[in-house]
Amino acid sequence: MNNSIMQRLTRPDLLAFGVLFIAAILIPLFTQGYLLYVLPEYYAYGLLALSLGLLWGQVGILSFGQAAFFVAGAYATGIALQSESWIASVPVLLVLSALAGFLVALIPGYFLFTGGVRATYFVLVTLALSILAERLAVNYSDITGGWNGMFVTRPEFDFGTLGSLSLYGDIPMYYFVLLILSSVFLTVRGLCQRRFGRMLIGVRENEDRMLAMGVDSAHIKTLAFGLSGAVAGLAGSVFAMHTGFVSPSLGGVLFSTEVVVWVAIGGRLSLLGAIVGGILVAGLSNYLSAALPDYWRLIQGLIFIAVIVFFKRGLAGALDDLRGLVSRKPGEAT
Amino acid sequence: MSEVLRVEGLTKKFRGITANEDISFTMEAGSVRSIIGPNGAGKTTFLSMLSGHHRPTSGSILYEGEDITRMSVVKRARRGLLRKFQTPAVFDELSVWQNIELAVLAHQAAGPRANARIIEVLETIRLSDKPDALARFLSHGQRQWLEIGILLGAGARLMLLDEPTAGMTSGETTATVDLIRQLADDHQRSIIVIEHDINFIRDLKAPVMVLNLGRILTEGDFEDVSRDPRVRDVYLGH
Repeated sequence: MNNSIMQRLTRPDLLAFGVLFIAAILIPLFTQGYLLYVLPEYYAYGLLALSLGLLWGQVGILSFGQAAFFVAGAYATGIALQSESWIASVPVLLVLSALAGFLVALIPGYFLFTGGVRATYFVLVTLALSILAERLAVNYSDITGGWNGMFVTRPEFDFGTLGSLSLYGDIPMYYFVLLILSSVFLTVRGLCQRRFGRMLIGVRENEDRMLAMGVDSAHIKTLAFGLSGAVAGLAGSVFAMHTGFVSPSLGGVLFSTEVVVWVAIGGRLSLLGAIVGGILVAGLSNYLSAALPDYWRLIQGLIFIAVIVFFKRGLAGALDDLRGLVSRKPGEAT
Repeated sequence: MSEVLRVEGLTKKFRGITANEDISFTMEAGSVRSIIGPNGAGKTTFLSMLSGHHRPTSGSILYEGEDITRMSVVKRARRGLLRKFQTPAVFDELSVWQNIELAVLAHQAAGPRANARIIEVLETIRLSDKPDALARFLSHGQRQWLEIGILLGAGARLMLLDEPTAGMTSGETTATVDLIRQLADDHQRSIIVIEHDINFIRDLKAPVMVLNLGRILTEGDFEDVSRDPRVRDVYLGH
């Protein structure tokens, strides 16, 4: 009887992850060229979507600030690489970028949550974070390059005496980003299943009840917001390494809104759903913007509306329902 | 027995209205006390000051010897002073098991000991046969028990129960009397109950405090209190 609902919710996603992961490993065997070049960019978007899935799905906090944390990670990576010192090594770049995203989220999060800012008001502040991030990136152009952007060279992975691996080639870069995405997903998923994850769900379901049983929800939300920022910062880092270019609009409101759309379509209650939403919708947007430049925004908008109206739990929720219909035993309640 | 609660001269004013005036009250650990009074007598206000949801205008609250008059809800709850709300506050979209699990994990690490504690609480609140049921599909009475279970799981030593039998069938109400007596007599919990249901208060066989217009009208056993003409006048209505 222990945790059966939790298991029903989480086990299938591990199976689905396994299948997708193996498929992703095999992709370079079947395709080369543009698709292989561009996929890591979508994986970075998947990681960014995961950062919002953690926040919106597990704790119930909607954020239009994910782009701000993303761009903080991206600039941290770019600036550290330009220094050409010891901090320009891949592991340090990843840590620095995660830390940048963590702090950019944690600091405002701490003051807002302990100050009792909740729900819609909090969402409005996250919107302001994105506006602020874009403006700062434009204004401090001597560091960021302003609207001209910042060029980032693909780094080398140094294994000391074992030699080194350049991420310059598309195949090493592909597997590198896939590895980051997968390990961050498994880490976040593991965290969500532990005690901390249960507290997040408690805050999402009934925050006042949590307070009245002695749980300081403000601190839990602050930490979750910081972690979400760290994941987004990592996404920004691998994005910068991969595409080699960072511009202020990556921190803006428009991009933040796209992240919300990805996660809504993928299914906010599922961490894997959020990732798949990010990869699929970003990929589709890219394809449609080339194929149907006049209509793709319209199509994306219609899909978004359809999801909100008909599939509130997104793609992951729809698949879950489908599985329930197929595997349901006679007499079992839905 | 030791004193779990000592309230002295507790007063609460909302703008011009005096909701509670000069209430003094003491209770022993492991005992049950009930509070009755007509609508607007200040029962829930009194409970809210004990739980920390309202700050008193004047007066003091000592819990287990510590002055908690200005302490936050969260800190009081961590010390084992927990409240059940008038409308059951449970986690509607989570299962019975997950509801109790959250309460237990709020104060101890996950593991076999936590699981044993969850099972123990489920048996106490008579819900061990439906751990997988979503809280929102429970009957009104079962939701009340679930919230009592949340208080127990979260380590309550003093439980404040605001109308625990609201919406219950008479069978459930009787079972609730047994549950509260069991918590006090076998588990040494201290319990304050606010209720409207006079039969429930009678069956509970606990000292009664009657509030009217924010003040203590009288105190004593149910029999004495129910014979008091002033009580009949303001509350029983005849």
